[in-house]
Amino acid sequence: MSRPRGFLVLGRAVAVPVSRVPVTVGLVLIVLVLAACVATLSLGRLGIPLADLPGALSGGASGKAAFVLERLRGPRLVVGLGAGAALGLSGALFQTVTRNPLGSPDVIGLAGGAGAGAAAVALLLPGVVPVPLGALAGALLAIALVYVSTGTGFRNPGRLIVAGIGVSAIAVAFIQYVVYAVERDKATVLTAYVNGSLSARSWEHAATIGIVLLVVAPLAAAIAGRLGLAEMGDETAAMLGAEPGRTRTAAVGLSIVLSAGAVAVAGPIAFIALTAPQIARRLTRGTGPHLTLAALAGALLLVLADLAAQQLPLPGSLPVGIYTLALGGLYLGYLLVREWKKGTL
Amino acid sequence: MSSLGARNVTVSYGGDPVVRDVSLDIPQGELTMIIGPNGCGKSTLVKTLARIMKPDHGQVLLHERDIWSYRGRQAARHLALLPQNPVAPDGITVRGLVRRGRYPHHTLLRQWSPDDDAAIGFALERTGLGDLAEAQAGELSGGQRQRAWIAMVLAQQTDLLLLDEPTTFLDIAHQYDLLELCRELHREGKTIVAVLHDLNQAARFASHLIVMKDGRVVTEGPPPQVLTPELIAEVFGLACDIVPDPRTATPMVIPHAALSPPRA
Repeated sequence: MSRPRGFLVLGRAVAVPVSRVPVTVGLVLIVLVLAACVATLSLGRLGIPLADLPGALSGGASGKAAFVLERLRGPRLVVGLGAGAALGLSGALFQTVTRNPLGSPDVIGLAGGAGAGAAAVALLLPGVVPVPLGALAGALLAIALVYVSTGTGFRNPGRLIVAGIGVSAIAVAFIQYVVYAVERDKATVLTAYVNGSLSARSWEHAATIGIVLLVVAPLAAAIAGRLGLAEMGDETAAMLGAEPGRTRTAAVGLSIVLSAGAVAVAGPIAFIALTAPQIARRLTRGTGPHLTLAALAGALLLVLADLAAQQLPLPGSLPVGIYTLALGGLYLGYLLVREWKKGTL
Repeated sequence: MSSLGARNVTVSYGGDPVVRDVSLDIPQGELTMIIGPNGCGKSTLVKTLARIMKPDHGQVLLHERDIWSYRGRQAARHLALLPQNPVAPDGITVRGLVRRGRYPHHTLLRQWSPDDDAAIGFALERTGLGDLAEAQAGELSGGQRQRAWIAMVLAQQTDLLLLDEPTTFLDIAHQYDLLELCRELHREGKTIVAVLHDLNQAARFASHLIVMKDGRVVTEGPPPQVLTPELIAEVFGLACDIVPDPRTATPMVIPHAALSPPRA
């Protein structure tokens, strides 16, 4: 048996493609993520000094350092990493399926539904249902509405987006209604759940998103090959035996579970799911859904945005979702200008 | 003897049937071409034979078993189809594209098989794309791109090869180029089925013709027996003479004028 180039071969049963550019990009992203983690833990007034960090991480933390690591910033950082990775992966799955660079579960009503759910429980039933649970329920309800109103489930990307825009609009209208009609004072509490926030996270949040990733990531890896084939058109994919209809339904389903998991632990954080896969695609210039790289890019983006939320000297403490929203706005502007220059808009 | 056939197959896209109660056997080792007017159901029939569309009634038999009793990849090791509009993903090289034809031979964890290199090399060489293997598929000319797609289905290493209007977007020289390639592959033992529009090309290259109208097979057989002025008038509504092609002596259609305005 000859040794194939460009494959990682383990015995007779395993041979997976490995090529130089994606591996290099992946390693660079990992280094950047680690640097952002170190910065998150050590910057600022409460930061653990760099010199003390190795000791603190290996269990030798005490006093203030232990508080910062175990209560204040540790869980927040891990939730940021997990939610960012989940959003990046979610967006990569969704964009590959819809063949639309602006596609992400946000667009099909997930974020709007989460906001509406949070608004409903926070202002209409205060103290009865935890707000994150309300956000999750709202997100799932919105997706269920979209699923029913397309008439073809998640199979047809065009209908999915149209139905999603409609459901989003309904959700936004509902949020406005609640905020205006019910209680204006408490509306500030809501910004965190309408925009997404990482402040005051606990290890339970970290465990939640960790479990979602542990369950979904292997499933996503299993359909990655078939997703790549679906890019060649349904007939080509079908004739190669890649079952495009089922693959699409599975990918959208996994994408929604990942986004819903992120919503449950951090609220509907905008634009990470949209930009992370684009960054992964642009860095490699290769084919395929780049699932791993999109997850890494998502983790990096969210940890960086949260670093900014914690350290930038802006009045008030803004939730991280506001920063990702601004980042995403800039990115969309850049895309528009580029398309305009190419004359395709 | 036939490894692919249809038994009373009726197919629709939700409304009226496009293919109506068709039974046929694809003759083993022949170069079969399916002709018929627009909308006669020839592409739909080929997609149904290739396990892309599921018949409402009837069965497609692959090696005497219902084709839908096979798993997707399993069927794809017996039968390949080049669709009308395949899409080359961004950034893919010709070799990468051809490699995707090996997918049916892989498993979830073993995405490489020892035969891959030989199959990909053979497919590239057979389609004359050896020198362009590392080129971007998006930068190829129309004729080269169609050859790259043919190479992908060749790499699949199936006995049966189905082509859905393979010449539609090619200029005349590349059309003949592609048909010659089909003929060579046929001589090397492949069973090929192609949907074609041009009657004279079909008559020149096919060893077996299937003529369809309104979702049904009107007649089938060797081109000289099948192509008569009466048949062309009945199926296409076109008055014509049939003369021997001066180069190949195969039937050649010389139209007079349309008998009635062509249907929409």
